[in-house]
Amino acid sequence: MIPLSWYLTFAAALFSIGLFGALSRRNMVAILLGVELMLNAVNVNLVAFWRYGDVAQMAGQVFAIIVFAVAAAEVAVGLALVISVYRRHNTVIAEELDLMKW
Amino acid sequence: MTTENLIWLIPLPPLISFALIVLFTNKNKALSHTVAISAAFLSWLGAMIVFVRALGVEHFGEHPFASSINWLPTGDTWLKVGVLIDPLGAAVLFFVAWTILMIFLYSVGYHNFGQPAGDHDHAGLPPHGATVHGHTVLSVEPMYSRFFAFISLFAFGMFTLVVSDSLLTLFVGWEIMGLCSYLLIGFWYAKPSARAAGIKAFMTTRIGDVFMLLGIAFLYSVTGTLSFREIFTEEILHTLASVPSGVFGLSAAGLIGLLLFIGTVGKSAQFPLHVWLPDAMEGPTPVSAMIHAATMVSAGVYAVIRMFPLLSMDEKTMTVVAFIGAFTAIFAATIAVAQNDIKRVLAYSTISQLGFMIAALGIGAYVAAAFHLITHAFFKALLFLGSGSVIHGMEHGVFHTGNHKVDPQDMFNMGGLKDKMPITFWTFLIGGFALSGFPLVTAGFWSKDEILADAWGHHHYIVFATLAIAAFFTAFYTMRQITLTFLGSPRTEEAKHAHETPWTMTTPLVVLAFFAVTYGWVGIPEHFPVLGPLVNNNWFHDFVGHTLEHVPEAPEFSWIPLLTSLVVALGGLGLGWFVYKDVKSVEQDKFQISFLKNKYYFDELYEVVFINPAYWVAENVIYKFMDQGVIDGVLHIFGPVTDKIGSAIRNYFDVPVVNQFIGDGSAEVAWWFGKNLRPIQTGRIQQYFILSLVVIFVVGGLLYYILTLA
Amino acid sequence: MDFLNTHLLSLILFLPTFAAVVILFLPSEESKLHRWFAFGASLIPFGLTLYLWNAFDPNRTGFQFQEQYAWYEAIGSNFHIGVDGISISMVLLTTFLTPLAILASFSVSDKTKAYFMLFLFLETGMLGVFMALDLLIFFVFWEIGLVPMYFLINQWGSANRNYASLKFMIYTMGGSLGLLLAIQMLGVLFGTYDLVTLYQNWNSLDSGTVLLGMPVHTVKTIAFWAFVIAFAIKVPLWPFHTWLPDAHTEAPTAGSMILAGVLLKLGAYGFIRLVLPFYPNEARMFSGALAFLAVAAIVFGAFASYAQTDFKRLVAYSSVNHMGFVVLGIAAAGLAAGTKDAHIAMSGAVLQMFNHGLSAAGMFFLVGVIYERTHTRDLNQFGGLFPLVPVYGGILIFTSMASLGLPGLNGFVSEFMVVRGAYPVLTVYTAVAMLGLLFTGAYILKGIKSVLHGPMNEHWAHGEHKLTEINTREILVMLPLMVLILILGIWPAWLVSVINQTVVALF
Repeated sequence: MIPLSWYLTFAAALFSIGLFGALSRRNMVAILLGVELMLNAVNVNLVAFWRYGDVAQMAGQVFAIIVFAVAAAEVAVGLALVISVYRRHNTVIAEELDLMKW
Repeated sequence: MTTENLIWLIPLPPLISFALIVLFTNKNKALSHTVAISAAFLSWLGAMIVFVRALGVEHFGEHPFASSINWLPTGDTWLKVGVLIDPLGAAVLFFVAWTILMIFLYSVGYHNFGQPAGDHDHAGLPPHGATVHGHTVLSVEPMYSRFFAFISLFAFGMFTLVVSDSLLTLFVGWEIMGLCSYLLIGFWYAKPSARAAGIKAFMTTRIGDVFMLLGIAFLYSVTGTLSFREIFTEEILHTLASVPSGVFGLSAAGLIGLLLFIGTVGKSAQFPLHVWLPDAMEGPTPVSAMIHAATMVSAGVYAVIRMFPLLSMDEKTMTVVAFIGAFTAIFAATIAVAQNDIKRVLAYSTISQLGFMIAALGIGAYVAAAFHLITHAFFKALLFLGSGSVIHGMEHGVFHTGNHKVDPQDMFNMGGLKDKMPITFWTFLIGGFALSGFPLVTAGFWSKDEILADAWGHHHYIVFATLAIAAFFTAFYTMRQITLTFLGSPRTEEAKHAHETPWTMTTPLVVLAFFAVTYGWVGIPEHFPVLGPLVNNNWFHDFVGHTLEHVPEAPEFSWIPLLTSLVVALGGLGLGWFVYKDVKSVEQDKFQISFLKNKYYFDELYEVVFINPAYWVAENVIYKFMDQGVIDGVLHIFGPVTDKIGSAIRNYFDVPVVNQFIGDGSAEVAWWFGKNLRPIQTGRIQQYFILSLVVIFVVGGLLYYILTLA
Repeated sequence: MDFLNTHLLSLILFLPTFAAVVILFLPSEESKLHRWFAFGASLIPFGLTLYLWNAFDPNRTGFQFQEQYAWYEAIGSNFHIGVDGISISMVLLTTFLTPLAILASFSVSDKTKAYFMLFLFLETGMLGVFMALDLLIFFVFWEIGLVPMYFLINQWGSANRNYASLKFMIYTMGGSLGLLLAIQMLGVLFGTYDLVTLYQNWNSLDSGTVLLGMPVHTVKTIAFWAFVIAFAIKVPLWPFHTWLPDAHTEAPTAGSMILAGVLLKLGAYGFIRLVLPFYPNEARMFSGALAFLAVAAIVFGAFASYAQTDFKRLVAYSSVNHMGFVVLGIAAAGLAAGTKDAHIAMSGAVLQMFNHGLSAAGMFFLVGVIYERTHTRDLNQFGGLFPLVPVYGGILIFTSMASLGLPGLNGFVSEFMVVRGAYPVLTVYTAVAMLGLLFTGAYILKGIKSVLHGPMNEHWAHGEHKLTEINTREILVMLPLMVLILILGIWPAWLVSVINQTVVALF
């Protein structure tokens, strides 16, 4: 059986790639993609810990499913916002969109 | 009707008359006086029937007419009130009924009934005359009906007092008369002098009344009853005499007697409460006759006579009574000598004569006091009404000449009225002679002689001498009055045009003159030379004497008092005539001594010693200093103090601590943080990411540090 | 009829409140409707009281027409009401005076709705005190009576009304404070507020007991003075009386009538109902002090009254003078409890309460009548008005004489009884009180002299200031008072025998 550390390493790598994407990319859609990667990294962790922990406890799987749902919702709302912002300001570059500045 | 029921009814007609006049007939003068006089007549009739029936009862003293009813529940017993006519009551009822009826009748003429209404007459002032065909004539009194209402109520009070069987009802009648005297003396209330006189009369007599009330309360609490017949039993009297009162070493009987006597001092105007009576001459003359001669002042003496069995239980009280009476008799007589107002002379004469009666009681001359009370009531009422008639006649003269500066009451403006007003003159002469004690024919002689005989016979020589001198003064000022008023020739134009008064006024004079002569004959002593055997026995002494359980002994006959009374009466009259027969004006009068004229300055003294200080104390000490100063002052301290405490709490706690530190401070802190943390809000999403990461690492690190390492 | 008989007291007590609530729903503009409705409504309790008087059996001791309902069970307080011979006469006085006061208020035209509502509430408050057989109920009604009177003075009074109403309120509240504490103490100690029960328990406490860490004697003394001061303020007794002249003077006419006629009696009633039965020993011990204060009220009240130039203030101080006699009677009854002197003094005190209610209400009304016409109360502004207003003058003299205590009118009977009862036990005090009686004459005559007698003040004789005679409505207010004054003066037995029976049983 593949040891747990492999999954964790994989998830960490995936999370770091996602984080890098979210922080470094200027395009809002790309930032969203980075966030999705991070979420999936968490999912991998959850499922892995479930499998290697107490299998009778379903919490790990349930959490993973909740994260899917949240992620789906987030993408839907996020993309809608991006489209809406693009229509108004004709741009999807994050740095140009400081509407929430004080 | 039984006599007892009849007695209950005697006081009622005047009361009903009062109510009727006040409520219904006050607009109609004729109806008002008809009602009042009818009422007085009914009471008179009842009184006469009772009197006659009383004469027919054997041993009336032991079996008087009496009945009583429960009046007031007091604990488990009742206070009873009722009526009582015993020999004394019957005798008093007789003269009261007569004088009241006569005075009622007289008032019709006195208040000018039938004359036109005055031109400028004003309710509250005496009538000023009306113009008819260019002549000024007397005008009718504007408050005619009211006068009859008041005197009706007054008559009710007097009848109540006479028929009552207990001190309580006696006091009720007593006070009702007090009210009426206030209302009647101040009848012409718009005159400040009359208004003041009314108040003076009421207040001065009230001083006596409150003492009397105390005496009644004392008597009631000791004996449990106020009924005369229950008090005057051997047993109760001895209890009262043996219980010490704790005041001045008097027995309970002595103190009660003294307290009740003070009531009489006020009511009968004895020294030192005599000051009200002369001022009371401000009232209309019938009032003077009624209040100051026949009824109210007599009521004071009547009360003492009534309470005689009680008073006589204590020697000290009797001495006080005798002293006050004798002193008043001579004191007032001297003042009367120097008065020029025809009514004021009579006023002081009344005080003096009442002093005679009180002195007589003080020396134990019960019957003599009662006798003089009755004869005096007749002749003094006659004199007052006569003086009213004179004044009325003089007013005729004043209206005739139109000189209103002439005082129709000043005797020095009169003179020679004998021919102008013959009926008034002759009746006045009879009254005056009775007052002086003119021998044999007048009532005053017999009663005064009996007092002197008693004083002599019971060895009260000081009282005897004092009264004899007072009697001399009495005869002197009486003759001065008669001479100045009626004899000689008129001193003023007004006196020349004086006019006899109408029949309503002269009839009462004649009736009273009749009694002023004849009433003396019922009390001729048995041992009097010549006349004594003729009348066989002293009826009055027998009749009234039996009111008491122990009939007082008539004094032995002695020539000394008889001769004394002859000398003082005739001497005084003679001297009076001799001195005044040629006096033409007030300057020639040698007796205008200012000390006497000003009544020994008692009014001024009282003003300075009692009245002004009382007002000053009331206003400045009690109201302004105590109530408004001290009590309200203390209260008003509460206000500012509470205010101070409140503002201290606000200034030193609420404002600095609560408001500034807690309230404002928290807001300021929040504001400072907000201001300084604002730049974090860049609106750049990726900066937020980084910030979040930093916070996660920091917080995570901290948590790790705390949870695992610490 | 059965319902009527079993709920008679409640009906009398709450009908005025009910009527007040009905007035709330009447249109605000209809002043005339308010007046007549309030007047009519106040007549019903009076009628019921007459029925009550008729059905009352004076020969039975104890309370009659008792009603008891659960009210505040947690602390043992019941809504318990009933009357005996003393309280029934006070109930009669209250229900008799209220319609007259309302009739006297017909000239009020400002905010009539509130005015008449307050009046009716006031009646309930006063009646409640007289009927209460439960300490807490007593206190509740005691305070209820205060509030309407505060507003009556404050809203419808004359110039200085704010000061007067505040003084009235604070003074009485100050007294209530001690009263409430003392009542609470009794309640805590015995777990009940019921008067009848408390009478027995409280007096059966023997002197060895320790209460609240103090000997029972000390506790009783403190509680005694707490009660006494509360009631003394209301009576008012010297030196707690200075609220009275201000309150009376500033209150509207009918307010003064009720204030003098009934509210002052609450204090005296408190003495009779609570102080003497609860503290017989203390009452005996301190009767000298009480009598001293009473005599001070009599004498100083008379003097102060004599010093006034304001007619209404003169009459107000006369209340201090007259109520002093009530307390003197109570002090004597406390000292001589169980004797005939006590019975006479106490009956006299209760009768004096009734009598003062009649004459003081009449006097205040008459002052109001002339004030309404002249807008002044300054005695120096009047003078010689008798010819202008002969009927008014006659009524004024009559009522003044009742106040002065003229025999034949009501005041004399009660003053005589008090003097008679107090003389054997409080001789010196009674003798000094006579000085007050003397000055009663002085101030009464001063009032008559300044208003009616003397040279006429021409200002009131002509033109727009012309003084008009007392009108029919005003005569109708005075008539019942005068009739009762006269009846009580001539034949007081019908009232005194009822009072007397209770007094003999209680004291």
